[in-house]
Amino acid sequence: MSDESFISIKNISKHFGDVRACDDITFDIRRGEFFALLGPSGCGKTTLLRMLAGFETPTMGEIFIDGQPMAAIPPYERPVNMVFQSYAIFPHLSVAQNIGFGLRKDKLSKAEMDKKVDEALDLIAMAGYGGRGADELSGGQRQRVALARALIKKPKVLLLDEPLGALDKKLREQMQLELRDLQREVGITFVFVTHDQEEALTMSDRIAVMRDGKALEIDGPVDLYEKPKTPFCADFLGTMNFFEGSIDAIGGGEATVKTTEVGTIKSTGPNMNFSTGDAVSAAIRPENMKISFDKPTSGSFMEGKVRASAFLGDRAHVYINVEGRKDPVLTAMQNMGGAASRVGGDDHTVWLTWSDESVILLPQE
Amino acid sequence: MKKTKFGTLGVYTVLYLAFLYVPVLFIPLFSFNDSIYIAFPLKEFTLRHYADMIEREPLINALYNSLKVGIVVSIVSTVFGMLAAKTFTKYRIPGSKSLTAFISIPLVIPLIILGISLLTVLKSVGVTLSLITIGAAHTVICIPFAMFVLISRLEGFDKSMEEAAQDLGESPWMTFWRVTFPLAMPGIIASLLLCFTISFDEFILAFFLGSDEPTLPLYMWSQLRFPAKLPSVLALGSVIFITSFFLVCFAEWVRRRGVQTQTGSAI
Repeated sequence: MSDESFISIKNISKHFGDVRACDDITFDIRRGEFFALLGPSGCGKTTLLRMLAGFETPTMGEIFIDGQPMAAIPPYERPVNMVFQSYAIFPHLSVAQNIGFGLRKDKLSKAEMDKKVDEALDLIAMAGYGGRGADELSGGQRQRVALARALIKKPKVLLLDEPLGALDKKLREQMQLELRDLQREVGITFVFVTHDQEEALTMSDRIAVMRDGKALEIDGPVDLYEKPKTPFCADFLGTMNFFEGSIDAIGGGEATVKTTEVGTIKSTGPNMNFSTGDAVSAAIRPENMKISFDKPTSGSFMEGKVRASAFLGDRAHVYINVEGRKDPVLTAMQNMGGAASRVGGDDHTVWLTWSDESVILLPQE
Repeated sequence: MKKTKFGTLGVYTVLYLAFLYVPVLFIPLFSFNDSIYIAFPLKEFTLRHYADMIEREPLINALYNSLKVGIVVSIVSTVFGMLAAKTFTKYRIPGSKSLTAFISIPLVIPLIILGISLLTVLKSVGVTLSLITIGAAHTVICIPFAMFVLISRLEGFDKSMEEAAQDLGESPWMTFWRVTFPLAMPGIIASLLLCFTISFDEFILAFFLGSDEPTLPLYMWSQLRFPAKLPSVLALGSVIFITSFFLVCFAEWVRRRGVQTQTGSAI
């Protein structure tokens, strides 16, 4: 056991009848890390989390936490605690009783117990709420109580199942930061499940992107976003313009892709381990494609016509029809100084420019 | 227009309630009537039927028998109902639908058939008929009621409650006592009351499986032949009627208070 592999997931599979919820997953989670399991619904992320908690038994494979094999250990003896999606606050108990629920086995005196509960209430900024009933709490407060109830046990790992899913947008953004701060404060390893890519990017040290029961890519948020290795990941985290084609020439950190729709695109970006003739997609993020109203004299560019634009306040999405291409190319621009209003009406001829560095080569699916 | 509609509906409501309750109200009415005949016109007001009732030892014994059987049956049925309900709501059992249907068969078998078949079985294995055999038969018909009441209660609350308790270090056994049981409390009370009521006024099974110790319905039926003794049966009926009225009110009160009182208790 090392800090690098504090949690070790080894060849874990879970089958429900014919459905492979998890299919031979192997990766490690580091000590003290804020780790996200990200994927669309049905990708197996919740099943994996429930196997860490002990509520599901792996069909195959093994899980180690802090060097200890988990196979024979029931949920109530594992050094992990969980924040449930529904928060599962006990409705027949007060806030203080909910938070102190897990302390029964510690055989504390009443005074010690009260002290611990008060400390936990302080931690979640709910001092004085101990006597309230569970039904008197708001959504955000329920979430905090669920957190305090789990953290008071001082687990080695805290598991969170869509912890912010039930909250409204403003509260969710606030809780993202609070959770992040809380995790740094207590220093416990957090593993959380989410389908919200923004949430994963904001909060996590590392993210495992999952699909169809497999962990496709595991990396930090910046690397995952800027250097994705699979088209799924590139598309799931943020949005992406894909130009399909094949490698025309490659070498020296440079490649040209002969696309089927828009001519050749040059790349000096990541993922250069292809050979000539490989079917690839040249992928460019919308925010890396800039709109120019005059024909550029140098660099890479393509001509197009404005098809539609969507004004989002701080930024605007502009859809550009490019000749020969079926789907419009999406660009995102910051609405700095009212820039979005200058894009003009439909059918306006514009040029899209980008830097070759921002072109990511991805294998085709 | 609106008023007419309300008027029609009002008449309907009054008739409806009258249909339900007027026959029942004759019992207390005649229990205070100073005559041994249950007939109009009414005579003077009296409490002597109530005094008779208290002095009639066989009647009090029968009441005591019924209470004994009812209480034991309601507890035993609720325990077994709880076990079944827990199983059906927790595990995905293959064929659980047909299994619940199978358990509820006693609900649809005519009691007279059930009574005869139970009598045949018990006689053939040489069991002596007593209050115990009545209780056992009542348990057979009460378990399905208990089970359905408890299934609907257990299905009503979030399953992750129990997982949360386990996650916080409680074994399945302690999880049951600290989470499932308190959450199922309203269902448990409902089940106890329902089973008690079913057993308390059940006649046919008690008739087939009883011995010389009668339950209250058996005793009352046997007294119908003696007009002189009927008024005190009416007095007892009134007492039971009033008691069950307050019992139901009490149960409802407990159910509504349930969550609040438990919030105030110690961890």
